[in-house]
Amino acid sequence: MRLVQKMMRATHRDLLVGSLLLAFGVVWSVTVYVTIPTDFSESVGPRAFPLALGIALVLLSGLLLISSIRNARETGEETQVEDPDAVQNERIVLKMVGAVFVTIMAYGFLMEKVGFVIATLTIVSTSMWLILGIRKPASIATMAVGITFGCWLVFGKILGAYLPPGTWLSLF
Amino acid sequence: MDLFLSALSVALAPDAVLAVFIGTFLGLVFGSVPGLTFTVALALILPVTFSLEPTPAIGLLLGTYIGGMTGGSVSAILLGIPGTPSAAATVIDGYQLARNGKASLALGTAVIVSAFGGLFSLVVMIVSVDFVASLALRFDPAEIFALVLFGLSTICGLAESSLLRGLIAGVIGLMLMTIGLDEMEGIQRLTFGTITLQQGVSLLVAMIALFAVPHVIEAFVDYYRGEKTTVNAAEVKVELPTRQDLRGNFWLMVRCAFMGTGIGAIPGTGGPIAAFLAYAHAKRSSKDREQFGRGALGGVVAPETANNAVTGGAMIPLLSLGIPGDPATAIVLSGLLIHGLVPGPMLFIEHPGEIYVVYIAIILAYIAVLAIQLFGIRFFVQILRVPAHLLGVGVVVMCGFGAFAIRNSVFDVYSMGILGVLAYGLMRAKIPLTPIVLGLVLGPTLEREFRTALILSEGNLDIFYTSLPALGFIGLALLIFTVQTARALKLFRNSKKPGIERNVPVR
Repeated sequence: MRLVQKMMRATHRDLLVGSLLLAFGVVWSVTVYVTIPTDFSESVGPRAFPLALGIALVLLSGLLLISSIRNARETGEETQVEDPDAVQNERIVLKMVGAVFVTIMAYGFLMEKVGFVIATLTIVSTSMWLILGIRKPASIATMAVGITFGCWLVFGKILGAYLPPGTWLSLF
Repeated sequence: MDLFLSALSVALAPDAVLAVFIGTFLGLVFGSVPGLTFTVALALILPVTFSLEPTPAIGLLLGTYIGGMTGGSVSAILLGIPGTPSAAATVIDGYQLARNGKASLALGTAVIVSAFGGLFSLVVMIVSVDFVASLALRFDPAEIFALVLFGLSTICGLAESSLLRGLIAGVIGLMLMTIGLDEMEGIQRLTFGTITLQQGVSLLVAMIALFAVPHVIEAFVDYYRGEKTTVNAAEVKVELPTRQDLRGNFWLMVRCAFMGTGIGAIPGTGGPIAAFLAYAHAKRSSKDREQFGRGALGGVVAPETANNAVTGGAMIPLLSLGIPGDPATAIVLSGLLIHGLVPGPMLFIEHPGEIYVVYIAIILAYIAVLAIQLFGIRFFVQILRVPAHLLGVGVVVMCGFGAFAIRNSVFDVYSMGILGVLAYGLMRAKIPLTPIVLGLVLGPTLEREFRTALILSEGNLDIFYTSLPALGFIGLALLIFTVQTARALKLFRNSKKPGIERNVPVR
C-alpha cells in the first residue's frame, strides 16, 4: 500500500505512466509484427501503419520516461512528504473509477438479459443508493422512474429506436 | 425564375416547413445529448421518411442534419462533452466560458455564428458549386493525405503546453483506429480472432468513452469531496454576443466559413477537421493567444462557424457527384435515393426544381435553428440546474443506451466502459484527450489515402512532392511541427526543471 501511495506522487506517477505506455507500445508492436501479415501488398501493407504507430509510441513514451526520471532526480526527497488528503483523494478516485466501470458493465449486461426498462430502473436506483449514498426512497424512485420513462417514451415510442427487450425477462 | 418560384411554393408548404422544424428540433436534441449524435438521429428518422412526400422527407433529413451539427455545441459548452465529433473543438473554450459563468454568451455566440457559417456556406455553394466541386474532384489521394496530415499537425497547437504528451495522445488515437478489419485488403488487425473486434473501435463509442465517462467519474469524485460543480442557472441569462463581439470576430468568421466550406467539399474530411483547423487558425492569428483554452470567445466562434459551414460544402460533392463526405451525409444521400433523387451531375439536369427545394430547406433549417435555440435557449440552460452528480447518473444511462444504439450491440457498451476508464486514467496522467479524438477522426482517412497514393504511384514517394497542393499541405504541417518543437525546446532550456513538458491542466 505504501509503495502504491509513493508511486502515485506526481513525479512517480509520470514514471509509472511512462513505463506503462512504453510497455504497451512494445507489446503492441510485437503483437502487430507477429499477427498481421504483410505479404499481401507490394507497397505499404496492412502492418505498416500500426507498426509505425507502435514504434512511435515506444519512442515518445521513452522520452516521457527519461524526462520523468530527470524530474524525479531534481525534485529529490523534499517533495516526498506524505499528504493524507492526497491519499484520501486517491482512494475516492479509485473507488469512483471502479464504481462507474462496474455500473456501465452491469448496465450492458442487464440491458441484454432483462431489457432496457428493468436495466435502467435497476442501474439508476443502485447508482443513487450505492455510489452516491442517497437514502431518500422518494428521490431514488422519482429519478429512476423519470429517467426510465423519459428515455422509453422519447427514444422507444416517439423516435422508434430499438430498445433491447431482454433475453431472460421482457417487460415491453 | 419560374422554376425557383415553383420550388419556393413547394418548399414553403406547411407540411414541408413543419418537417424542417421537427427535423431541426430532433437534430438539436440528439446533437446536444452526449452520446446520441445526429448520425443516430438520421438513422432513426430515415425509415420515418418512407411514408412522407419527397419534399417533407428531404426537409426532415436536412433539418436533422443541420440541427444536429449545431446541437453538438450545447453539451460541449454546458457539460464539457461534445454532442457530436464536430463540436469537440468547441469544448476547449466553450466549457471554460461556461465555468467562468458565461454559458449563455457562449451558447448565444455558437447559435449566431453557426447560422452565419451555414448560410455563408450555402451562398458560397450556390455561387461556386461547379468551381469548388471540380477543384475537390481534382484532389487525388496524395493531396487528401497531405491535407489530413496538415489537420493532424493541429495536435501540436492543441497540446502546445505539453507537446510530448499531446503527441502521445495523438498516436494513441491513431493506434485505436487501426484495430479491426483492414478496409483495403480485408486483413484482420489486432482482432485476436473475435468477430466483434472486426468492426473496429467505433468512433462514436470512443467519443462517448473519451468525453462522457471521465466527466461522470469526475462529477462523482467532486460530489464525494464535497465540491460543488453545478453552475447556478439563476445567474445565467440569455446573452447574445454584442455587436462589438461580432464585429471583432467578423473576419475570423468569414475565414472560418471559407475554411469550413472548402474542407466540407472534400469527401472524407468533414466537421471535426474543419473545426480543429479553424480553432488552431483562430489561436494562431489571435493577439490574445494566452486566453485560448481559458475561455476565449474566438475559441467558440472559429470551430462553430467552420463546422456549420461544412454543411454547405458537404452538399457540393453530395449533390453534384453523389459522393457523401461522412456517415451523416451518407444517410442524407440514402434518403434522397429513396425518394427518387439520384445525386450526380444528371440531378441538375433532370431535377433542377428539387435542387432549389434543397437550398430552401437548408435556409429554413438555419432559421429553425436560430428560432428554436434563441427562444428555447433557457430550456438547454436548465440542464445546469441539475446537480452534477445526479446529471452523472442520467449521463451513465444515456451513454449506455447511446453506445448500444449505434449498432444495437452490447459489445459497444462494454467497449465504452473499458475505453472510458482508460480515458480517465490518461486524463489523470495529464495526457490530453483532444488529440486522441483528432487521431481517431483522421486516422482511417490518413492511412487509406497514404496507401492508395502509394498503390497509384507503385510505391514511389514522389507522388507526395510532385503535386503542388500536397507539397503545400505537407510543408505547412512540417512548419507547424517545427515551430512548436522549437518553442517546446526553448521552454525546455529556460525551465529550471528538465523535460519538454510543463504540468498544466489538460482537456
